[in-house]
Amino acid sequence: MALNESHVGDTNGRAERDPRIARLYRDAAREEPPARLDAAILAAARREVGAGPRALASKLRRWHVPISIAAVVVVSASLVILMQEEEGKRDEAAAVQATRAPAEQPAAPPPLPTVAKEPMKRAPEDSLSARPIPRADREAAERSEFTARRRLDAAAPASPPAGDVATSAGKTSPQPFLAAPSAGMEERATHPTEDAVTAGRAASAPAASSEPRAALPRAEAPQSAGVAGALATKVIEQDRAPVWRDYEKEPPEKWLARIEELKVQGRGPEAQEMLTEFGRRFPEYPLPSSLR
Amino acid sequence: MAWSAESTDEELMLHYRDGDAGAFDVLYARHKGGVYRYLVRQCRNAAVAEELFQDVWMNLIRARAGYTVRARFTTYLYRLAHNRLIDHYRRNGHASVISLEQEDGEAVVDPPDEREPPQDEALDAKRQAERLLDLIGELPEPQREAFLLQQEGGMSVEEIAQATGVSRETAKSRLRYAMAKLRKGMQGWR
Repeated sequence: MALNESHVGDTNGRAERDPRIARLYRDAAREEPPARLDAAILAAARREVGAGPRALASKLRRWHVPISIAAVVVVSASLVILMQEEEGKRDEAAAVQATRAPAEQPAAPPPLPTVAKEPMKRAPEDSLSARPIPRADREAAERSEFTARRRLDAAAPASPPAGDVATSAGKTSPQPFLAAPSAGMEERATHPTEDAVTAGRAASAPAASSEPRAALPRAEAPQSAGVAGALATKVIEQDRAPVWRDYEKEPPEKWLARIEELKVQGRGPEAQEMLTEFGRRFPEYPLPSSLR
Repeated sequence: MAWSAESTDEELMLHYRDGDAGAFDVLYARHKGGVYRYLVRQCRNAAVAEELFQDVWMNLIRARAGYTVRARFTTYLYRLAHNRLIDHYRRNGHASVISLEQEDGEAVVDPPDEREPPQDEALDAKRQAERLLDLIGELPEPQREAFLLQQEGGMSVEEIAQATGVSRETAKSRLRYAMAKLRKGMQGWR
């Protein structure tokens, strides 16, 4: 007959347990594995931990989270840096575009890298100054330009405002240096801004020393950008038109005297060239009848 | 976190998994006797039991990297031992495989007690122990296994069921059969 649970014992678990049997068994069963087995197993356990890919995997598992966090930080930092660099390049490209547009110099790719070094945040509108013009030179140029402008204003009150000088100059006088560079100028064109700065220093220094009014009102400082741009344009032109170079900062009366002098000397083309420049610079100044 | 002598089996095994061989030493010291006696009583051959014993621990060592706590460590360890024993039975065409895998439905036949109970109340414990071990050896293997897992592994009915891969009721039934036979065989031996 099959033994069911009621035959085996009660339902409180005593059927599966018997303290007397358990005590007797503990007293009876005392076998232990031989010592050589203990040594072999423990040695194998140590070997397993000491070497092999599992040990490496265990170490990697332990460092999994810190390594993951470090990797995320590195990747994030790299992305931020890359984005910042991209943004800087974009700004520089925009600056190059702004530099090239007003100067109308499509045939001068070499200057671009030089222009690109300019931090555009300082003076984004200063498109022609690829390198920063020293403050003393810039102020000297501004002073001479201001002097010329004031003299012009005094002579011709209806002349355009000073802030438009660079723009109007750029529009009304296409730059022959850029449009048709000579062989000698091509080499110089690779660093036009450097030449412009150097020439600008040479041209503006004597003008600054010759002008008695060294201190300018602060209120006129905002014009510096346009004035510096016009100065750079003129400096470039000076290399090309040396006839009137020394008269660039002179009043119109001196220009007319020089033109008269050239005509007397029989240097008609140079007199005509200087007269043309005079007309561009002082369009409303009345010409004497001898030069009309 | 470091382990100590009071750490649980599971904590020790996790430390060993993570490379601490000292934790394994403690774990081995706790369970080597029980596993060894389980195997000796089941296969009744000391040499074979030693071989199986070593295999069980080597399997544990090799499986350490993938160890996670899903049950008591004892259940895990004795399941390894149980499986190794089944492999041994199958490899050797042992008839016990059949009896291990079949559900219990056997009729209870009280084991014949051909020995005379001791006349002397002061019979030493040694003879009682020998009598009990003989009775254990006469149990059917599934019942003997359930009894040994309870005594050596300190396992509950549920844990015995997990370790041997049977239902809780089957494990419970085996344990009751075993205990009933042992009680009956020891009657008068007190």
